[in-house]
Amino acid sequence: MAYRVGVDVGGTFTDLMLFDERTGRYWRHKTPSTPHDPSEAVLEGIAAICQQAGVDPTSVAQIMHGTTVATNVILEGKGARVGLITTEGFKQILHLARSQTPGPLAGWMIMIKPEPPATLADTREVRERMSAQGQVIRELDEAQAEAALRELIGSGIESLTISLINSFANPDHERRLKAIAQRIAPDLPVTISYEVLPEFREYERALTAAMNAYVKPRVRTYVHNLDQQLRRQGIAAKLNILRSDAGLMTAETTEENPVYTLLSGPSGGVAGALHIALRAGYPNILTFDMGGTSTDVALCMGEPNIARETVLGYFPVKVPSVDVRSVGAGGGSIAHVPALTKALRVGPQSAGAVPGPACYGKGGTQPTVTDANVVCGYLPPSILGGAMQLDVAAARAAVQTIADATGLSLLDAAEGILRIVNENMFGALRLVSVQKGFDPRDFALMAFGGAGPLHGNALAELLGAYPVIVPPAPGLLCAMGDLSADYRDEFARTYIRTVDKAEQEEIVGILRELGAEARAMLQSEQIPAERQELRYFVDLRYYRQGYEMPIEVREGDFEGELIPTLVRQFNEIHDRTYGFMLDSVVEIVNLRAVGIGRVTKIELPEAEPGDADASGAFVGEHQIYRHGEWLSARLYDRARLRPGMRVEGPAIVTELDSTTVVLPGHTATVDRYFNLLINKG
Amino acid sequence: MPTHVKIATAPDIAIDPVTLDIIENALKNTRYEMDAVLYRTAMSPVIREQHDQFPMVTDPQGRMVVGQFGSYIAGLMASWDQTVEPGDVILLSDPYLCGGAISHVNDLLVMLPIFYGQGDEAELIGWASMFGHAQDVGGPLPGSLPTGATTIFGEGLRLPPVKIYERGKLNRAVLDIMLNNVRQPEMNRADLMAIVASCRTAEKRVIELCDRFGKETYLAACQALLDRTYRAMKQLIVQNLPEEPQFFEDYIDDDGLGNGPFKMKLTIYRKGEEAYFDWTGTDPQALGPINFYLNESMFKMFIGVYLIMVFDPQILFNDGFYDLLHVTMPKGSLIQPEFPAALGCRTHALTRLFDVLGGALAKRAPEFTTAAGYGTSPYLLYSGYDKDGEFFYLMEITYGGIPGRPIGDGMDGHSWWPLFTNIPTEYLESYYPIRIDAYTSIQDSGGAGFHRGGNGIEKVYTFLEPGEISIHDDRWLTPPWGNVGGKPGSRSTKILRRTDGSEQILPSKCDQVQVEPGDQLIYRTAGGGGWKDPLSRPAEFVQRDVKYGLVSAQKAFDDYGVVLHADLEIDYPATEARRAAIAEARGEVKGFDFGPPLEELLANAQAETGLPAPRKPQPVKWAMARAARRERATQPEPLVSAD
Repeated sequence: MAYRVGVDVGGTFTDLMLFDERTGRYWRHKTPSTPHDPSEAVLEGIAAICQQAGVDPTSVAQIMHGTTVATNVILEGKGARVGLITTEGFKQILHLARSQTPGPLAGWMIMIKPEPPATLADTREVRERMSAQGQVIRELDEAQAEAALRELIGSGIESLTISLINSFANPDHERRLKAIAQRIAPDLPVTISYEVLPEFREYERALTAAMNAYVKPRVRTYVHNLDQQLRRQGIAAKLNILRSDAGLMTAETTEENPVYTLLSGPSGGVAGALHIALRAGYPNILTFDMGGTSTDVALCMGEPNIARETVLGYFPVKVPSVDVRSVGAGGGSIAHVPALTKALRVGPQSAGAVPGPACYGKGGTQPTVTDANVVCGYLPPSILGGAMQLDVAAARAAVQTIADATGLSLLDAAEGILRIVNENMFGALRLVSVQKGFDPRDFALMAFGGAGPLHGNALAELLGAYPVIVPPAPGLLCAMGDLSADYRDEFARTYIRTVDKAEQEEIVGILRELGAEARAMLQSEQIPAERQELRYFVDLRYYRQGYEMPIEVREGDFEGELIPTLVRQFNEIHDRTYGFMLDSVVEIVNLRAVGIGRVTKIELPEAEPGDADASGAFVGEHQIYRHGEWLSARLYDRARLRPGMRVEGPAIVTELDSTTVVLPGHTATVDRYFNLLINKG
Repeated sequence: MPTHVKIATAPDIAIDPVTLDIIENALKNTRYEMDAVLYRTAMSPVIREQHDQFPMVTDPQGRMVVGQFGSYIAGLMASWDQTVEPGDVILLSDPYLCGGAISHVNDLLVMLPIFYGQGDEAELIGWASMFGHAQDVGGPLPGSLPTGATTIFGEGLRLPPVKIYERGKLNRAVLDIMLNNVRQPEMNRADLMAIVASCRTAEKRVIELCDRFGKETYLAACQALLDRTYRAMKQLIVQNLPEEPQFFEDYIDDDGLGNGPFKMKLTIYRKGEEAYFDWTGTDPQALGPINFYLNESMFKMFIGVYLIMVFDPQILFNDGFYDLLHVTMPKGSLIQPEFPAALGCRTHALTRLFDVLGGALAKRAPEFTTAAGYGTSPYLLYSGYDKDGEFFYLMEITYGGIPGRPIGDGMDGHSWWPLFTNIPTEYLESYYPIRIDAYTSIQDSGGAGFHRGGNGIEKVYTFLEPGEISIHDDRWLTPPWGNVGGKPGSRSTKILRRTDGSEQILPSKCDQVQVEPGDQLIYRTAGGGGWKDPLSRPAEFVQRDVKYGLVSAQKAFDDYGVVLHADLEIDYPATEARRAAIAEARGEVKGFDFGPPLEELLANAQAETGLPAPRKPQPVKWAMARAARRERATQPEPLVSAD
């Protein structure tokens, strides 16, 4: 019983990785996704990969699963009919939202506001009120509440949210309402805001809770069915789901709080990238995951940067998530030229998988980034072994439409499309680095996803982030991430107090309580003591600022000068991030404990670096168009590149699921883990 | 003009369209990064939670390349007689010393010159600038916006343009004087530093762009972006503005001193590729603080952004097109008041300006334009001393009904102002002695229409400490109009309910209203006007609004002609009959629906609103004399007439 399986369900493919904990060996498998029921591909993939490895499926102990079920439910608007209970006077909490309309002036004219997860018709008020300090101002009127709940539940809602004003300070009324609801309808999924997000700001808390309720039935069904199917096939493995913050949680917790999985997909990529980068000796990386319709980027310094909020379309959902920025720029992004301004724009519209780029010959005619890559020669028409032949003529015809509209030559139009899409992705990478006060030159760039290795070198040139790391099988990194993720859960409490009015003893007391909760979680996951880790954070800001920054506290500091240390660290970070600090008093907002259960890390294949001569992998030459001229690039087969080998740019390295471009003036070397490291010079 | 400064000029070089698009995007990102830095570091909720602030990046001549409210720097620099050097940061807050670039003393305007090159080589290549609304800048009342002020001396501290940083060194003396005159110095300090930090961020980004593409290319790109907007605007003007003069009138209800209403009138026409905007016919300036000192360039900006939003939101909006627009603004009028007229509460006129602009344009392209919205920026101010003798002061901006629009219904209780947000109840209750008992939109307050006007807001506050409140609102007398057959929205109202149960209607503009613990304020803002004929609104949408509680069954019947059964199912035959009956009874639908005529509104004011009708405004004598003198002193402006 020492096998683990990592499964990542993507839009097109479901990727799997099987790992033998005793030997460190692993196997990979890729199978088409089954969007109507993603579990089909998962089950089929598990069977296939076990067969491939000659492993009895019943000896798989753990399944670690990255899923986009929750994300898709929201993006497709196919969630449950959600009922919402609010405090009297606040029925329209989701309807009014934060009242915001977009910029610039008169931006309201073109705003389209989507329906919130719970409609006004399915919202009821209850008589009760807490103060912001957690005192009862108005006792919960249980009779009225029960009547409202009965009527609402009777109307046919499929999932219930309870979100009361100031419940972050005292959840008693929310809990009592939940008990009543469960008495009325024992099978109805109930989400109370305090359990999902015990933090202040009522709209964000109510929305996050309602989003949880919205995705709950579908996620619950999915996870439950998958678990059942596994059992039916005799696989007793424990099913774990990857959270948005790249930690794992059990299937049971996922069924309760599925909103924590909104970024499960991209966070797997980040976890995988980080795992490889740490092995390769680069703890500081920018991840660059470029797919067909979008590109996800994140910054890691030995661990992923965790953000407190994720914006999904119009909705700001507040759950801890890997700080992944997504831009609508990918291989399928469509280039276009608006008539009035004659500007060249790329994306966010995408040709998607169907009809796809023109060069795929599946009926697409609009010029995409992939077509521009074909025209410029970065993507050789025959990808290794001719498994897929690209239609160069179709790509040129498509890009010609852009040339005609802008007055550029065909080649300059193609190169222009690439420059603009690179710029869009550069913007996203800047958001997570420069704009957070980090210098990208201090980071390596991990390029993966279908198109990441194709554009990675160009992005590194813009950012100055070297080396570019292209892992083996860059398309399979998410499954590896799932496999190398640790258990993780966060326990938080809002504690708003300026530091001059805060008692160290009280803070430490609360942190210890939260730590005990985290410890209990790890115990219940049966994580052995030596693999348990607790971390503590205090979120701080200047008094009356609106946004807080997390400062980590070590257990060793609990007895020392805790508060002055926190203040000093906060001032330093504020200064680094924003360029100034204030004399103002610092305010504590949240106290948090994070429980982490370490899993055995997957070992990567490794070999002593040998000779630099890569001629054994040389397979031919291909012309590329760059900066207005044609250059001859050497083509290499990745499978034949061994540690130590060097490839001089311009070069193109092809492998089954990806193509890596090494630009002129750059050299790629293969490290001992078979990563391509592209450096200047 | 500034002395000893080398101002870069845009070289006459061709720039490839791809580089241009890249620089455009980078500048757009810069502008949003400025916002992000500010939101994360500023302290006053009105800037941070509500986003009452406006950033921009300009070319060397001070023309806005990206941003929101631009256009003031060239005017300011014309009268600046000091040096401008690397590391300088200029601060000001006096509307009269910047041609109305900012229009009340609360706005702290920061301008940071961006230089490129070292030592003597350094050239001015642009400006980063931002202004934000400081919650208090001194004066007799917290908030510095007294509704009873009759001159700007009764409002707050006025800072002339001054270097708050000189070659990178903070000017302590100026900062100390400023902070010594305000009620919450820590907050002003933090807000000011946050605005400066935002501008520094923009400076960094612009220098990076020059490093990357070369200064010449960057400057050429700025010029090309301005040119691109010029060309696009030229087309918009020719396509959408009438050659025949069109005028539109609307009103500010009162000036806070019992005078009103004040008319704003705008006439629009086009000659060839150029457009004319004439405010002649606008009432003389008010005694109270509702005057809006309108900056001409800024008005051109408003016109531009309005046209862009209505007709083609993809266009980057900047200062490129100013030469195409000609503006006439009578001196001594509500929009061009004589110094030292009070200006604190100018948001009513500022907002109404857009109603008037939209109305005038609507006559030519009704299908493209919207109805009128809640039409102002409603404020609540609450201050006092808590049990420990600590001073507290809250300023909150509320919102109202967005008008019905071509794209859809007006949002209920949303902000007409870009990117503004409400203050969370839990934030208010954590930091102020106040409780929010209800926060909702008001059923039926949005004007009926094919696209419904948004409902106004009702917010119910209970005060927990003794103190004073101020209210700033409008549209209590004249309702927001409907357009293309849509109906007007409801008017605003304020009710103070004392602990003994007695109720008092408060004026829409008032100060120093004493409140005691337990007193309740019911604050209702106006709804938005409807767009197009409500009888053409699908009955299912009306039904949904009724189910949502946003529209009553009675209003569905009265205004939409939709008949619902008790279970809220639609009675289709009855609906058809009802709609036919309404259509026949009313005859032709009105283009604009202003509600009852003004005389009737005035006559019924007391009965309908609980407030006396305002007195007909009398000209402010000294202002009229001054305006006449200035008019004589300047060259008569060329009279333009429509051919």
